[in-house]
Amino acid sequence: MIAINKVSKHYGAFQVLTDCTTHVNKGEVVVVCGPSGSGKSTLIKCVNGLEPFQSGEITVNGVSVGDPKTDLPKLRSHVGMVFQNFELFPHMSIVENLTVAQIKVLGRDKPEADEKGIQLLDRVGLKVQALKYPGQLSGGQQQRVAIARALAMDPICMLFDEPTSALDPEMINEVLDVMTELAQEGMTMMCVTHEMGFAKRVASRVVFMDHGHIVEDDLKDAFFANPRSERAQQFLAKILHH
Amino acid sequence: MGYSWNWGVFLQPSATGDDTYLGWMFYGFKMTIGLSLSAWLMALFLGSIIGVLRTVPNKVLSGLAMAYVELFRNIPLLVQLFLWYFVLPELLPASLGNAYKQSNPVVQQFLAAMICLGLFTSARVAEQVRSGISSLPPGQKNASLAIGFTLAQTYRYVMLPMAFRLVVPPLTSEFLNIFKNSAVCSTIGLLELAAEGRQLVDYTAQPYESFIAVTLAYLLINVVVMFSMRWLEAHVRVPGYIGGK
Repeated sequence: MIAINKVSKHYGAFQVLTDCTTHVNKGEVVVVCGPSGSGKSTLIKCVNGLEPFQSGEITVNGVSVGDPKTDLPKLRSHVGMVFQNFELFPHMSIVENLTVAQIKVLGRDKPEADEKGIQLLDRVGLKVQALKYPGQLSGGQQQRVAIARALAMDPICMLFDEPTSALDPEMINEVLDVMTELAQEGMTMMCVTHEMGFAKRVASRVVFMDHGHIVEDDLKDAFFANPRSERAQQFLAKILHH
Repeated sequence: MGYSWNWGVFLQPSATGDDTYLGWMFYGFKMTIGLSLSAWLMALFLGSIIGVLRTVPNKVLSGLAMAYVELFRNIPLLVQLFLWYFVLPELLPASLGNAYKQSNPVVQQFLAAMICLGLFTSARVAEQVRSGISSLPPGQKNASLAIGFTLAQTYRYVMLPMAFRLVVPPLTSEFLNIFKNSAVCSTIGLLELAAEGRQLVDYTAQPYESFIAVTLAYLLINVVVMFSMRWLEAHVRVPGYIGGK
């Protein structure tokens, strides 16, 4: 579904990604982890072309992201993405957040989009909030709305860029629950996250990054039981204490 | 001081006999409003486009927009007015220039004044719009692109609706400024409010009454503008957002 092949990116002289190669098969959940500044977020933003890269190739469902001829808006419309800071549209009600792109991008009519939106809000447990505005919801609620907004586009895969990093501890689980459910239903997912519990529960593979390199790309059990690189061992030792 | 107040002067028939002095003032009042509103519409329209262009990724477009802003906000308004009114008609192709110079003088003055005020203010509006756009969280643009919107749709549905809300207060100042700046246009002979005030002084020798009336008229316009913009600001306020309900 997602194939990343020898992708490199630099800002001027600063190398952000070096020869990154990995993939996400259909129905797989791949968790990308690593220390801050290791290039995880940059890599996931390259997947839907939000960040350009200088060399290598990324294909999503066979379409090359870096190709200038690719219709990026069309490609992005069926790749859902969830951000660290939710990024709901503050001037639209919750249900409008879920319907605007269905109507303007997919060309659905309003009743159809509304029905889909309400159904997805119900799914993330926020149907009663449909007419409120993002600023009136808690962080956890906003992030669940953001997931529903992405799902409203019927995505073929979902990208999560540290979806719980900006949340209060007690709100993290309500978001992880929604993500776990999604994974169990067979959604193809690539998640940048530090939530190792989530990774242990649902990941197929874990990709560990450091300094712009993909250091490990392993099946989940192998990664947690026996990380090969010293850097990953250190990282896990620090993070799994808690 | 032997000044004799005479508020009745406004009801006296004017020197030309076809109107009262109040009628003259009212003519200037309408001219000021017509000129300022048409220039404001022009400024809002052009300023929004230029402001957006200043923020687009294309370097050529944003460079051109920057040149536009710097050109129109760095030349004094009075100089710009003289350029539009006296110099530009000479630079037009002869046939067009002559047609312009033979048209109704009031139309000539109004056009030059409107274009001048409109362009001058558009550069300032463009800067407000640009600052509104750049003050949005950068993730908003990414989120909008990520959901499949094109760059144009991102501006239309996501960035501009918030950016304009953020800049209502500074735009209010620009809107008030355009009425006040319109007084400069009396220098090319356009009979707007300030010019009528001066004319009344010449004809009636009642300067205090004239300029008190002019002052009150400007004040009235700006109080109306201020309250309308305040209403607008409250009306478009986003619930739960900074400054929201």
